[in-house]
Amino acid sequence: MTRLGLFALATLGVIAVLVVAGPLFWTIAPETTNPAQGLAGPSLVHPLGADELGRDVLSRLLHGGRVTLLVGVAAMLASLLIGVVVGAIAGFNGGWLDALLMRFTDGMLAVPAFFFILVVITLVGTSVGTLVLVIGALSWMPVARVVYGETLRWKTAEFVVAATSLGVPPPRLLVRHILPQAIPSLVVSATLGVAFAILTESALSYLAFGVQPPLPSWGNMLQRAQQYVFTAPALALYPGLAITVVVLAFNFLGDGLRDALDPRRRR
Amino acid sequence: MKLDLSSFPFRTTSVLVVAALAVSACASPTQPGASTAPSAQAGPVSGGTVTMPIGADPTLNPWSPNAFIESLFINRVLFDGLTKPGKDLAPAPDLAESWTTASDGLSWTFKLRSGVKWSDGTPFTADDVAFTFNDIVLKPDLGAQNRASYAAVKSVTVVDATTVRFDLSRKFAALPSFLAYNAGILPKHVLSANPLTTTTFNKGTPVSTGPFKVDKYTSGQSVSLVRNENYFGAKAFLDKLVFTVVADPNTQVAQALSGDLQIMILDNKAAVDRMKSAAGLSVVARPLVQYYWLSLNQTDSRFTDVRVRQAFVTAIDRAAIIKSVELGYGSIANSPITPALAAYYDPSLASKYPYDPAKATELLKAAGWTPGANGVLQKDGKPFQFTMDVGQRGVLEPVNALIQQDLKKVGVIVDLNTMEWNSYIQKDVVRREYTATVNWWTYPSDPDVFPYYHSSAAGKGFNIPGYQDPKLDDLLVQGQSTSDLEARKAVYKQLQQYTSEVLPYLFLWYPQEIDVLSTSLKGVPELGLRDAMHYAGEWWLAKK
Amino acid sequence: MVVGQEVARFLFQRIASGALVIVFASALTFFFVNLAPGGPSSIMRFDVSAEQREALIKRMGLDKPVVERYADWAAGAIRGDLGTSLLSDEPVTQRIGERLPNTLILAGAALVVSILIGIPIGLIQALRRGSALDHLLSFYSAIGLAVPVFWLGIVLILVFAVSLGWLPSAGVTTISEDTLVERLRHLALPTVALATTTLPTIVRFMRSAALEVLDEDYIRTAASKGLAPRVVVTRHALRNALIPVVSAVGALVPRLLGGTVVTESVFSWPGMGRLALEAAQGRDYPLITGITVVVAGIAVATTLLVDLAYTRIDPRLRAS
Repeated sequence: MTRLGLFALATLGVIAVLVVAGPLFWTIAPETTNPAQGLAGPSLVHPLGADELGRDVLSRLLHGGRVTLLVGVAAMLASLLIGVVVGAIAGFNGGWLDALLMRFTDGMLAVPAFFFILVVITLVGTSVGTLVLVIGALSWMPVARVVYGETLRWKTAEFVVAATSLGVPPPRLLVRHILPQAIPSLVVSATLGVAFAILTESALSYLAFGVQPPLPSWGNMLQRAQQYVFTAPALALYPGLAITVVVLAFNFLGDGLRDALDPRRRR
Repeated sequence: MKLDLSSFPFRTTSVLVVAALAVSACASPTQPGASTAPSAQAGPVSGGTVTMPIGADPTLNPWSPNAFIESLFINRVLFDGLTKPGKDLAPAPDLAESWTTASDGLSWTFKLRSGVKWSDGTPFTADDVAFTFNDIVLKPDLGAQNRASYAAVKSVTVVDATTVRFDLSRKFAALPSFLAYNAGILPKHVLSANPLTTTTFNKGTPVSTGPFKVDKYTSGQSVSLVRNENYFGAKAFLDKLVFTVVADPNTQVAQALSGDLQIMILDNKAAVDRMKSAAGLSVVARPLVQYYWLSLNQTDSRFTDVRVRQAFVTAIDRAAIIKSVELGYGSIANSPITPALAAYYDPSLASKYPYDPAKATELLKAAGWTPGANGVLQKDGKPFQFTMDVGQRGVLEPVNALIQQDLKKVGVIVDLNTMEWNSYIQKDVVRREYTATVNWWTYPSDPDVFPYYHSSAAGKGFNIPGYQDPKLDDLLVQGQSTSDLEARKAVYKQLQQYTSEVLPYLFLWYPQEIDVLSTSLKGVPELGLRDAMHYAGEWWLAKK
Repeated sequence: MVVGQEVARFLFQRIASGALVIVFASALTFFFVNLAPGGPSSIMRFDVSAEQREALIKRMGLDKPVVERYADWAAGAIRGDLGTSLLSDEPVTQRIGERLPNTLILAGAALVVSILIGIPIGLIQALRRGSALDHLLSFYSAIGLAVPVFWLGIVLILVFAVSLGWLPSAGVTTISEDTLVERLRHLALPTVALATTTLPTIVRFMRSAALEVLDEDYIRTAASKGLAPRVVVTRHALRNALIPVVSAVGALVPRLLGGTVVTESVFSWPGMGRLALEAAQGRDYPLITGITVVVAGIAVATTLLVDLAYTRIDPRLRAS
């Protein structure tokens, strides 16, 4: 993998450790208010300062990171699951079902996902669970294409044909023989998928449809902080930076993995 | 009627030295009708354009159910009512010159101004008033906005071309105040076929009576008003009054800072210091007829004990809420009558429930709630825990976060359920499926708060907590029954005392509005901007 | 003739799949919004009595079953009537018609800017493959993909509108002085914000396409004949590299349309994105459904056009 990819991986590792283990050591609760400390600057008690209600920004960043990364990863897994199922069914069955599913996939790719996410979220509510499902349900198309391609490619391979003739059922065939071939491409898609989900959550938060307070997420921290850009710009700086760094790292990791796993693209 | 649904975050306002200074500097030099021969420097001059932001496309019809807060400002300029809020907030003449109530209190007669013309030149008559009420407001199938305010009105009768009589089913002393509140009169000759959904009117160029009329409505961008040459009063000083659609409150701030806006309500209070330091802008605080409350659903037996309600209000650090959420622009509330209604407001109640967690714990103990495991209060083995629904608008989210922490300190566990506004209204207001929630009421400039407190409004009307109390009902009816100011003062003083004692709602605070004005804009009365809109004809721009 | 048949078959397939998506999107949106909690803002107000609420529900026809309402709506939609907005009483087609041009202008400007800047950057990176400049430019464009667009928008407003006072922060024009220059000045910041998110895609497509072309034998031959790389690139590589750029544009259109929702909100740009947001918040059922159909239609049509252009430009595709 490229140096940049490795660096991105390392950065993500550090952030993951911070976000997962950090709250065990930095034990101020993210929802504890202290109006007397409203908009306080950095101090020993609040190393990154306090927000408008005197809540500890560091603690909120750590807990918010958990939520944001959870949404990102879970949404990616959801899209992976849907994509694999659609792609594999289309690839294995062929015929009209293939045509229908893949035309539908193409169609969905042409649809402005954010519009739909917005519409659906307004309507089904904004729990973490629905956010994950909705983002996942509107970002599975690239995965489906990859799996479809791989399925077509390996369906006719000798070892698969042999297995089929031995009566191995298609789902088992898929898991045992075909999916492993698709792993490199899927890993790349998954990495980029996390980045997409995180950005989507933050944009939804801007429109007040993201993760709902009092549960902190980087997106909703940034949304609230906007009001204070004229008086306490640092409040918006931290979550904005956190989102940018993490998304950047996932993108670089995705590129790095692509280069490492796909020799044709190595340049 | 009452709650105004501001489409964006942050309600607002406040009292400032700056305010007082700015106001004295630009105290309105004109009175309506006074023909002005301005001295070169100090007096008002004609000309210029004032631009003001609104959050979304307005609906130019005060009775349309789709006229939300963004429509309210412009409709108050366009459509005169029979009365308007005076500069002391008492009802003042507008289309009506004078009014009297019958001795039995069951009717009001309004003498209309003569010689008034609509902006298209058609004469305004008593028929227009009768049309507005009989054919719009009182027609149940139209669902006109504010209709519920006129439940006591049976019909409006044309006595002669310049006299109308409102016949009532019960006494309604506050009628003249209500008629000053989003109750513009509509033209019969234009709207008789389709009063509420004529889009060439609502979204185009309506026929109106105010000092300005619509010149151009550009969807999603702006509505430009120009001087109405047919206006009955002194002609407006400004050439143009433009309402520009700017949804994001931060963008409004940016636009004001770059000089694109001459007057606005600062919805993002956090930016107040930045505004104060900006050259060419003055920042003023204005009282509002508005208060925030915490409603505890009275169908939940834990909240029917008055000691629990008093304990909560004692446990909540309301001064801290005002400081951190309203940036100091507000004062503690202990009754529904706001300081803006100076004639009625009882300031002695302000210090009734000082923040005191220890006292709150005592009260809760007296009510049978004692600390259990983890310090959480318990009664009959059940922990004191409930969910508060948070509507996603304005300051509600941070306020709930603070209340949650305050109650936690006395051992009460609150779970916050933040909801998208529309779904929240459905759950908490339409279906009343809630335990506790925070919100606010805005009401006409009269202490008649009957609709929000009377037993008959519990469960389905505007009595959100569902609190029912014969003594309170009695006071509410008494207040509606007399038009005598002193008698009403006495009744409403009692009502304030009583509500502060029994806490039908937990009163939180009276917000103030922060208005930002260009220093060259003069003649804006010292009122909240909503009310100041009625005086847009008196606004003028000093030449630079 | 074989080519003609191929294209016809391809066209038919794409149109069929597009229609499928549009029908699916309209039905999904319609049922979703109608089954969702809440209701039109005119009835979901604090200050509306139960009696008013019932009158309004009846007036808006919301007391009829959802299936019946969808059937009514679909019957109208086929004839080009997308219904009446519940929140403004205007025809949905009129509301969309007022806003669509603004969205197309913004998205178009962002696309043009991305292409004009993206192609040269991609080429430079390809020519200087592996150099510090290549890495630096890659890094910058990667940042464009990672910055939340609303955050970028706010920063742009703070810097260019508030601090420097060079550009307006909101709206499409100045009301008192509606000139082309004013319109362009208003277009500047939103375009930059939106283009920042699309530029990296163009750059990447261009860079890898140019690299691929540079590796082709005929280019190597040309280079070995002593032609300067710059000449080789402009003569050969650029033309061939345009193919993937066209497909990048196709991939970007849906993203641009989605991105306008946020960008339009930050800059108070009166386009369809903001209209969609207002419609969703206010539960304006016919309007949301109408916007969904129009946006899906535009996206489908664009991809179709791009694919057609693709088959025209690429002789290999045509041959196969």
